[in-house]
Amino acid sequence: MMQVYESRAEPFEILLVEDNPGDVRLTREAFREAKVHVRLHVVSDGEEAMNFLRGKREQTDVRPDLILLDLNLPKKDGREVLAEIKEDPSLKSIPVVILATSAADEDIQRSYILHANCYITKPVDLDGLLHVIKSIDNFWLTVVTLPH
Amino acid sequence: MKTGLRAIPYLQWGFLATLAVFLTAAFIFYRGLSLLEKSEDKVVHTHEVLEHLQSIESESEAIESAYRGFALTGDEASLNGYREGVLLVARRESALGELTRDNPSQQRDLQALKALIDQKIRFADSIIELRRTSGLAAVSDQLRLRQGDELMSEIRGVIARMADEEHRLLHKRDAEAEHQSQRTKGLLILQAILCLAFALIVLSVRRSLTGIELAAARQIEEQFRTLVERVQDCAIFMIDPRGKVLTWNIGAERLIGYEADEIIGQDFLRFYPSDEGAPLNPHDYLRIAAGSGLFQTEGWRTRKDGSRFLADATITPSFDKAGNLLGFIKITRDITERKKAEQLLAQKVADLKRSNDELEQFAYVASHDLQEPLRMISSYTLLLAKRYKGRLDSDADDFISFAVDGTQRMKALIQALLLYSRTGTASPAASRISSDHALDEALGNLRSAVGGSGATITRDSLPEIAIEHSQLVQVFQNLVGNAIKYRGAAAPSVHISATRNAKEEWVFSVKDNGLGIEPQYLEKIFVIFQRLHARDEFEGTGIGLAICKKIVERQGGRIWAESEPGRGSTFYFALPEMEGQ
Repeated sequence: MMQVYESRAEPFEILLVEDNPGDVRLTREAFREAKVHVRLHVVSDGEEAMNFLRGKREQTDVRPDLILLDLNLPKKDGREVLAEIKEDPSLKSIPVVILATSAADEDIQRSYILHANCYITKPVDLDGLLHVIKSIDNFWLTVVTLPH
Repeated sequence: MKTGLRAIPYLQWGFLATLAVFLTAAFIFYRGLSLLEKSEDKVVHTHEVLEHLQSIESESEAIESAYRGFALTGDEASLNGYREGVLLVARRESALGELTRDNPSQQRDLQALKALIDQKIRFADSIIELRRTSGLAAVSDQLRLRQGDELMSEIRGVIARMADEEHRLLHKRDAEAEHQSQRTKGLLILQAILCLAFALIVLSVRRSLTGIELAAARQIEEQFRTLVERVQDCAIFMIDPRGKVLTWNIGAERLIGYEADEIIGQDFLRFYPSDEGAPLNPHDYLRIAAGSGLFQTEGWRTRKDGSRFLADATITPSFDKAGNLLGFIKITRDITERKKAEQLLAQKVADLKRSNDELEQFAYVASHDLQEPLRMISSYTLLLAKRYKGRLDSDADDFISFAVDGTQRMKALIQALLLYSRTGTASPAASRISSDHALDEALGNLRSAVGGSGATITRDSLPEIAIEHSQLVQVFQNLVGNAIKYRGAAAPSVHISATRNAKEEWVFSVKDNGLGIEPQYLEKIFVIFQRLHARDEFEGTGIGLAICKKIVERQGGRIWAESEPGRGSTFYFALPEMEGQ
């Protein structure tokens, strides 16, 4: 039986943890073409990420529905951020999608061991990136039911 | 030693001759003995014949008296002896017949004897018959009796003749036997004399040979001494068991500096630097050499002027025939230069290795790190193209186009460079794989190219070879891919085969009917990024053949091409059959 997906009224809150402004912009542009309405919050290092999640910054910071996390970040490294999120009882239910340039086996293994929800290697070209964002959109934001 | 060596065959002949003489003597002796045996037999034979003859005579006489007795007395009892006698005579006659079989005259006489005896017996029978029928008066006829006497004396005569013949024969045989034994004795004495003569010859030859040998040996020693003297680049000298220098050659003068007259008699310890922290004392070297026959060492030596050099020295002991130690022969070579060269080489090799490693790492890191900025350029120019195509003026469209095109090519180049730097970083393969399987995989990867171009691929059966599977796949894929890509008007036809050459290599070939390559470019095509065609004619980064070359050469092989422009090309690569060559 075909499942009917409910479309949400409010936008999805996505936290993008990425230090490369070029990649940030690309991601933003890619989501523009996405079906669902998305509000993208961007932080550029690991420390800022934790502050955001712990509500230690501005009032406008909200608890995200999904986290897109790069691994190579200044200050606090992405792997540490992942570990902290998944150890924190109040945060661990948030799905974390690792979006990293590395295709190294050890990074992939390590991320899953630290309870990343999935690992995506950032594509080298634009079309690839668009495709990935579309897939994230299709899967995590359409098919999947996210926790509240 | 030449004369001495030539004399050796003579000695061998001498030995063979002696042996022949001995055998001949033995043969003569044997023959003598057997002849003696034969004459003994003959003597026995003669005696037998004589005995038989004598018996026949006495039997005949017995027969004679028997029938005469009967003739007189008429007593049948006297005839017993008669009948027995007749039988005995017959037996003797046949025995004689056997014994004298080989003697024709005896046989004739025997026949005569037989005839006479038969006659006598017939006569005796007639007398007996007459006595029986007519009585004594009939037989006492004197004439009759005399006839019997005459027969008897004839018989005796024949017997005597036969006996004489036998005696004559016996005498003849005796004479022969005597003659033979004299001859045998003579031959044996001759033998003995010959052997003695030979022994004397051999002894004298040996003595003269030893003299020749000694002279030759002395001559060689002289030549050797001169040779050693003259050697210039090795120090060769003798020292006595206590280490005093006995001889000195030109090489030693040049190498160590002392002249012969100032060093002979001096202790060899002089050549060793005093502060040398060697684990062994040079005198220990001598001891070891004397024990094991050789001592070799590398170490520093001091020259007359105090300067040092690194030496390779060998000490060999020298013994006389009785096994006493005469001294030592020391051969010393200057290896300072050689050692320096070796060290330099080792250093250069290490430098080269380090440089290579750095280069590979650099290539990898550079390509890897170049990817990120490239990604930015590429993505944003594409985004520009997508977002603003047709919305700006046509110039802007062109500019964007060129920019995008450039980034695509740069991306391809960097990826190619990355692939090249990563190729063959693993150590050369140790085990053999099937090149048929590698070709299968390569052709599988090229399926769409093959199908799209209508290419015909033919192949011979390929051997097992020591190379990593994935690398051979890459080589085949590049070569066959090129064969298809650089085709002419006709549908591409590619043939892959392999033959074994005399150098224990397998030479693979990929032959096509494509565009071909001008002879002046046949080497250039293997250089990285070198291309023969414009970008818009054929796509590609110009790295395929460079990768093939890297893979093949790393495995100890080589790669080259032959071509007829307009007709086609054949690419060859040779790989050693055995690993580790």
